[in-house]
Amino acid sequence: MVRLKSRYLLCEVCVSDRSNLLLLDDRAIYTAAKAAVARAHGDYGAALSSLGFSVKYLNAHTGIVFLRCRKSHYRLIWSALPFITSLENRGQRVPCFLNCLHVGGTIRTCQKFLVRYNTQQLHRMLPLCQSEGMRWSQIYFLLLFCTLLLFHCLS
Amino acid sequence: MRRAHIQDQPATYERLVYKNTSLYHYMRISLQLENESTRLSAAQLKQLICSGLRDLYGESNVLQTSDFPFYLLSNQTFPLFRSLFLFVSFSGLVKLWSALTLLGSYQNELCSFRVTQVSPFLLTLSGNSRELELD
Repeated sequence: MVRLKSRYLLCEVCVSDRSNLLLLDDRAIYTAAKAAVARAHGDYGAALSSLGFSVKYLNAHTGIVFLRCRKSHYRLIWSALPFITSLENRGQRVPCFLNCLHVGGTIRTCQKFLVRYNTQQLHRMLPLCQSEGMRWSQIYFLLLFCTLLLFHCLS
Repeated sequence: MRRAHIQDQPATYERLVYKNTSLYHYMRISLQLENESTRLSAAQLKQLICSGLRDLYGESNVLQTSDFPFYLLSNQTFPLFRSLFLFVSFSGLVKLWSALTLLGSYQNELCSFRVTQVSPFLLTLSGNSRELELD
């Protein structure tokens, strides 16, 4: 049986003010991504990328987004991601940029990468922590990160 | 290992097959406007073609197709149509052709591009049997 292959773009939403992250929802990212593709690749790109394009997962606490698209034209969306400068939600404009961390074939591979990436970040950030309390809060934060993702994938 | 092996062999006859005839193509097109009396300068024509490309393929593809109208036939030769010659790379040919097909308006005026000839050789565009007048 022919399998419909897709690509999952694992992106991180970077905002200057962390409290603005909580305002985001998947609709805002969906519209922003579609607008960016339409601007960068025209009508042709907008129509082609809208086939099978969806925001699969969004974590407002950590700013991790999974974008799902078809394997044949995931590069269109990938190349248009740097053109996203702000996300709009209920009339509020949040300036941000999307940082693409990983492109995977399934959610499971993206999750494995995320766990590896988080451990690397932890190793990088722990020596910089001044106090014991800060260290524990970092570990807790990243654990929360992984468990939220796991929970969502299993549900 | 492989490289040494090729160097040892003497130069042999090699047959190269090109899938397409040329890197660049020439297009002869004409623009038909709703209002026949409007005249467009070369810059305006280029702006129109670029806007068509931008609508269909976006900002990233406008510069990829290196096209520039390099000759404009005067209206005395062809009183009804205006002929334009475009020079485009082979990879951009399809994009340019599709953009010209879908271009419909110029400053709220209906217009259409008619592609008369496409050829990798410029000299072939000098003759067109459709416009040949027999005595």
